[in-house]
Amino acid sequence: MKTNSNQYGLTLCFAAVLLVAGCSSMKTPATADVAVSHAAVDDASTAGGAEYAPLEMRTARDELAQANTAMANKDYKKADDLAKKAQADAKLAQSKADTAKAQASASALQSDIQVLQEQINHANQ
Amino acid sequence: MKKLLFVPTMLTMAVLISACSTVPRTTSLLDQTRSDYVVIQNNPNVERYAPMEMQQATTAMNLANVASDKRESDADIDKLAYIAKDKIGVAKEVTKQKLAEADMTRTTKERDQMVLNQRTNEADQAKANAAQSQLATKAAQADAADSQARAAKLEAELADLSAKKTDRGIIITLSDVLFGTDQSRLNPNGMATAQKLADLLNQNPTRNVLIEGFTDNTGTAAYNQELSERRAGAVLHALQDMGVASNRVSTRGYGKEYPVASNATADSRQLNRRVEIVLSDDTGKIVQR
Repeated sequence: MKTNSNQYGLTLCFAAVLLVAGCSSMKTPATADVAVSHAAVDDASTAGGAEYAPLEMRTARDELAQANTAMANKDYKKADDLAKKAQADAKLAQSKADTAKAQASASALQSDIQVLQEQINHANQ
Repeated sequence: MKKLLFVPTMLTMAVLISACSTVPRTTSLLDQTRSDYVVIQNNPNVERYAPMEMQQATTAMNLANVASDKRESDADIDKLAYIAKDKIGVAKEVTKQKLAEADMTRTTKERDQMVLNQRTNEADQAKANAAQSQLATKAAQADAADSQARAAKLEAELADLSAKKTDRGIIITLSDVLFGTDQSRLNPNGMATAQKLADLLNQNPTRNVLIEGFTDNTGTAAYNQELSERRAGAVLHALQDMGVASNRVSTRGYGKEYPVASNATADSRQLNRRVEIVLSDDTGKIVQR
């Protein structure tokens, strides 16, 4: 009887180890994805994401924080999913910031050309 | 008996379940994402300006659709739909950026052309001004040369008339020998002198003359006054006949006043019998005695 329960317990432990081992094979890709999304959030921030895409930036930062928490809790699947979301949101935030700046430059140039036209008209009177 | 019924029921259920599993699962997020995707598909600018981002959005969309076809869980479908939606957003943004950049390139060209045109206009204008200046300078130079020539001519004519420069200006003296024995008419030499004076006045229309007559001290004051006036008048009439306007010529007789010689000898008396012609400045002003 004792041998049976020991065997059972041993099998359970072994299964548990397998389970944990199976989950921890996510650890490396999750670590990588969290690092990538951290960089993506930084890049978006530098590009002015907070100013031009505040919603996406806030979401990305939250997701990144949650991913870090999940990593600490060894929930690597969850961390990876969150990291991927954070990365996508950060890239969207950055591209919105880039668009806003490009459109502002185009607008400024249009104004410049109008001023130039007026100057020319005035000079030629 | 139970066993027999069990198997067909199971089979039927299996068939039903497998029939249901051919219908893909969809979520509201996936539906939204699909309609966002259609928008970028239908916008030719996205493919043109953001082909790489379009490709990435397509790949992500396909992954979400595959998950839907395989009837994976709502959570799993949503994870993929979320990523695809963001990537569709990025494709749109990059398209907008590229359009703004194309606009700037075009505007910059416009501006450069405007500046070039303006500079060309200014250069042409400067050239025209320079050409005009040159013409003006040449004209001024010609005028100056002209003035010089006329001044030289006047000098020559005055010299020919033995004109003298005095504090009253230039004075030409017509001596007694230029008048005939009828003492108040100009003889041919006198007429010739008057002609020279008339020519000078015609060439210098801004100048006027004052003709002053003088006599020696023989005879009465009244006689001499009248004689001096008649002599001055003779010169006036000669000038008028030669085309000089009368408002440019005035006369005065001084009789025996203002002698230039002693009147003691015949020669000195002849010297006093004279007509002096005072030439005005070039504005027509004459200094009175």
